[in-house]
Amino acid sequence: MPALFEVQRAFARALLREDAGEACAHIADDGFGAAGRLRIYRNTCRSTLAATLRLTYPAVEKLVGSGFFEHVAAQYVACHPARSGYLNDYGGEFVAFLAGLGAARELPYLPDVARFEWALSVAANAADAPKIEPTVLLLVDAERHGDLRFTPHPSVSCLELTHPADEIADAVMSGDDAAMAEVDIAARPVHLIVHRGHSGIETERCTARQYGLISRLCAGEALGRVIEAAPEQAPMILAQQLAKGRFSAFTVTA
Amino acid sequence: MIPASAGVGLRFTHHAAVLEERPAAAWFEVHAENYMGGGRPLEYLEAIRCDYPIALHGVALSLGSAEGIDARHLQRFAALADRIDAGLVSEHLAWSASGGNHFPDLLPLPYTEEALAVVCSNVERAQQVLRRQVLVENPSSYLRYRHSTIGEAEFLAALAARTGCGILCDVNNVYVSACNLGFDAVAYLRALPASAVGEIHLAGHRLRQFGDGRSIRIDDHGSRVAPAVWSLYAEAIRFFGPRPTLIEWDTDVPALEVLQEEARYAERLLAKETADACAI
Repeated sequence: MPALFEVQRAFARALLREDAGEACAHIADDGFGAAGRLRIYRNTCRSTLAATLRLTYPAVEKLVGSGFFEHVAAQYVACHPARSGYLNDYGGEFVAFLAGLGAARELPYLPDVARFEWALSVAANAADAPKIEPTVLLLVDAERHGDLRFTPHPSVSCLELTHPADEIADAVMSGDDAAMAEVDIAARPVHLIVHRGHSGIETERCTARQYGLISRLCAGEALGRVIEAAPEQAPMILAQQLAKGRFSAFTVTA
Repeated sequence: MIPASAGVGLRFTHHAAVLEERPAAAWFEVHAENYMGGGRPLEYLEAIRCDYPIALHGVALSLGSAEGIDARHLQRFAALADRIDAGLVSEHLAWSASGGNHFPDLLPLPYTEEALAVVCSNVERAQQVLRRQVLVENPSSYLRYRHSTIGEAEFLAALAARTGCGILCDVNNVYVSACNLGFDAVAYLRALPASAVGEIHLAGHRLRQFGDGRSIRIDDHGSRVAPAVWSLYAEAIRFFGPRPTLIEWDTDVPALEVLQEEARYAERLLAKETADACAI
C-alpha cells in the first residue's frame, strides 16, 4: 500500500504539471477516467489562484483587458504555486513576472501599476499592529535620541516608481476615459508612501528628498544618521510619520 | 454558542448590509482565512460579532497533510478564534499542502489506517492550539483511491471517537459525492455517529454534463440548495436531531435576502423535526 506522503507528493506533482500518470495509478477510474477526475482539482486550484491575482491587480487587468490578463495569470499560476493557505500573500512576484513579459512592453508603465496595486493589497491586508504614540519617545533619554531606530507598521510600502502609477490606476479604475486621457503617462520619477491609516488606505506622494529620509527611517536606520543627512527636514519628517501612525515599534540601539 | 437554528455564510459583500440593517439571522459563519489579516474586514467582523454569534470555518489548515499542519497558519487561526470568541470552529477532512506548496482546494484523502493516524494527530494538535473542539467536515469528492480500505463515514466516526473532535456534516457534499462516486447517501448519514455531529452545511451545486453522456456534480456553492439535497437534509436532522445549519454561497454571491430565504426554509424543516420529536 502506498504511503500517504508519497500519494500526496504524486498528487501535488500532478497539480503542478500536466503529467498525472504517477498520481493516476492510485486513483480509481470509475468509468470517468482518473486523469479527468484529477483535472477537476487542478482546474479549481488554478482558477482560484488566477481569481486571487484578479482581485489584487484590478487596474492591471483593465489596462491589458480581461482576456490577456487571464492568459498571463494562467502562465504565472502554472509556475508560481502558493506557499501558504493565506492567499492574501499570493502574487507578490507577479510584478517581476509582468516586467519580464515581452507582450507587456507596449505598456511600459504596467509593472509600476502592478507594484502600486501590490502595495495597496499589502496595506489592506497587513496584520493590525500598535502605532507609536510620539509622547512615548519623551521617555527615552535625550542623549540616546540619535540611537532611535523605528520599525514601520506592516502596512507601509515605500515606492520609487518611474511612471505615475497611482494616477494611472485611479483613472483606469474610475472607468473615466477622459480622466485617463488627461494622465501624463510619460516616464518621470514618482515617490509614494502607501499605508493603512486611521481612515483607510492612504497614498502620499512626496519629493525625492522626503522619500529618501522616510525610506531610511523605515529601513531602521539610526535617527541620528538621518538627522545628520538633513538636520532641517528630518525632525519634521519624523513627526509627520509618527502622526500618521507609520511606525509600530522602536529600539534604542547604537 | 451557536444555536440549533439556521445561519448564513457571511461574505464581504454582505458586511455593510448586516451592519446597517441588522437583519434577522440566528448566526453567521465566516471563512477564517478571510480575516487573518488586519484592517477593515476584521473591524467589520468584530462589529457584527457584537450582535450575532459567529462560527469560524477554515479552508486551508490541511488536516490531512502527511507533512503536518502549518504552525503559523494554525496560530493565526487560534488568534482569530480567540479574538472573535468563535461559537464553533470547523475544518475539512482534506489536505492542501505538500512539499512546501499550498493548493487552494480541498484535496481528497485515501481512507486508510495510516491516513486516519495522520488526521488524528493533526486534529489533536489543532484542538490543543485552538483550545477547543474542532468540527471536521466531509468534503465533496470527485475521485476515490484504489487503496482506500475504510468508508468515509466510518473514517469520520473513528476520527471523532479517537480525538474527541466533532463532525460537520455537509449534506450537499454527501449528495455530490454519492452521485459522483456511486454510494448510498442515506446509508452514509446513518453511518455517522449522531452525537458527534455538531453542525450541518447546505449549499448549491451544479451538474456538468459531457458530450459522451458522462456527468459529474461540481460543488460550486453558486446556486440555491437542490431539492434532492433538501430531502436528504430532512433525513439528516431526523437521524441527528436539530443541529446548527448553515446556508453557504460562494460563487456569484446574491443579496443577503436570498440567503435568508434559504435559511428560513431550513428553519421550517428544523421546526418540523423538533415538533415531530416532541410528539413522539
